[in-house]
Amino acid sequence: MSDNSLMVSDVRQPRNRLRPKSPNNRTKTYLPVLLIAPSVILLILLIAYPLIFALRNSFYFWNLQTSPEPVQFVGLANYRMVLSGPEFLPSLWNTLVLAVSGTATQFFLGLAIALLLANKLPGMSVSRAILIMPTTIAPVVVGFLFRYMYDPSGGLATWLLNVVGIGAPAAGILGSVNTSLVAILVADTWQWTPFFAITLYAALLSVSPDLIEAARLDGASALTILWRIKLPLILKTALILLILRFMQLFNTFDLVLVLTRGGPGTSSRTLGYTLYQQGLVEFNIGMASATTWLIVIIVNAIVGLYAFFAFRKWDW
Amino acid sequence: MAGQTSFIRNLALYALLALTMLFFIGPILWFMMLAIRPPSSAFAMPPEFTFTPTANALIYTMVDPGENAPQAVNSMIVAIGAVVLNLPFSVPAAYSLSRFKIRGKKYIMLWYLGLLMAPPVAFLIPYFILMKNIGLSGSYLSMVLVLQTLTIPFSIWLMKSFIDEVPFEIEEAARVDGASYLTILTRIILPLVIPGLVVTSMFAFVFAWNNAAFPLVLSSQKTATLPIGTLGYFASTGVTWSYIASAAVVAMLPPMIIFLVFDKYVVRGLTFGALKG
Repeated sequence: MSDNSLMVSDVRQPRNRLRPKSPNNRTKTYLPVLLIAPSVILLILLIAYPLIFALRNSFYFWNLQTSPEPVQFVGLANYRMVLSGPEFLPSLWNTLVLAVSGTATQFFLGLAIALLLANKLPGMSVSRAILIMPTTIAPVVVGFLFRYMYDPSGGLATWLLNVVGIGAPAAGILGSVNTSLVAILVADTWQWTPFFAITLYAALLSVSPDLIEAARLDGASALTILWRIKLPLILKTALILLILRFMQLFNTFDLVLVLTRGGPGTSSRTLGYTLYQQGLVEFNIGMASATTWLIVIIVNAIVGLYAFFAFRKWDW
Repeated sequence: MAGQTSFIRNLALYALLALTMLFFIGPILWFMMLAIRPPSSAFAMPPEFTFTPTANALIYTMVDPGENAPQAVNSMIVAIGAVVLNLPFSVPAAYSLSRFKIRGKKYIMLWYLGLLMAPPVAFLIPYFILMKNIGLSGSYLSMVLVLQTLTIPFSIWLMKSFIDEVPFEIEEAARVDGASYLTILTRIILPLVIPGLVVTSMFAFVFAWNNAAFPLVLSSQKTATLPIGTLGYFASTGVTWSYIASAAVVAMLPPMIIFLVFDKYVVRGLTFGALKG
């Protein structure tokens, strides 16, 4: 891996020479942009339409069940209704709890498994190849899988909790206000911890053994080596993985749809599910549009701040 | 002495490994077993670890009447369509971003990445109404088109990492011989990155195959994909778990097979090429 990155930088240097200096063929100058343009234009069209659609309709009263067209301009009423409604703030809170605790749990559990795999005992490479399986499954299917596990009458997880002596809630793991969000968190953690385990394992392998040997000779403990040498060296990778996972968790919706539909009450409602409820169950396009823009603003603020601090010093 | 402590240490490590594998793989096997369980055994308490397997549910969902079989075909059509449409957009862009010095390249790359973090639900209603207005509602094309918001950014990142690895000298030699950039891309780079192209297509396929949000609002009864089919059992009266599991197992298999076959590239695929693995 260290050899690899060396190679890449070797390639990069002469790349500057590609910048056409000869004026004999002017089209060359535009070629790089022309090659990127189709993808950017298609993506902008695909993204801009929903955003503009939602922006416009967030100012209108419009329920698709009663009218095929927006009914009436209502100013900021939709935003007021969303923000003062009983669903938005609990959803936002649940979403943040889910995203923060889920990302942290998955990262550290994944790191622990990566360190376990790094022992390279016989059989571990096969285990590594199989371990990633949960991550390959569609979230909807993971939802079904865990709904079966959590079933109050015959679920394996319910049974295990009772056998171990913790005891599953009487209303069922998914039916109890106290455990519904945790149940979603566990399902997502089951699916995505292997993702961190496999990628962090690969990142750890890329750290030069000489460097670790040198630190060990200087008397650094295994934990010091991990925190002070290994982790800083894989920081760049870790930062991308963390924000990706955080945002995927932030957008969680398939799992909630299959497992709890946000219930009981609003105990496991996420922003994604609230939006689904407003738009595709109640068909209140005006309110769903307002929620969309609130989410867009929140997401952009999070990603923007993160990118500013995390990627500021990057050289591409 | 040293041999003994390392034996105990290894034993402890294997115990941890076994526990890890049990936690992450056990539920998959348990769910797969549901597809071949006799109904009486599905929710037995205490759980039954041995039972007489039956293929009834698999036959019902896939063969007779086989309601889920056409949905599997639909999933295939949509996912393959999404991959095929994405390549002419993403490959030239990846080449350009790999080879040329472009102002703001970092921001373009981050913008693509940002699209992968967009909340899918936010787009569902507008796309639903858009597709209805332009008469594409319920068509394969509507799903394939909208999936490009995922497959194009993903493929650009992953393809770029493969093109980055092609030594620049190869291109330079062709340049000296007077070849144009387009000739270089199609005649020299593309043949060299065919493995990368295959890997990228495979993981983009998984991305599209596993997406349930877009088909949820864009598909019709005729074009419904497999995840939508499983959701259907849930809505109908009386949840038939063995049918859900049967259809879900079929939905699980293609991504699993792809990840096992392309094991060498899994890390690279999962990190969009950021990590070579």
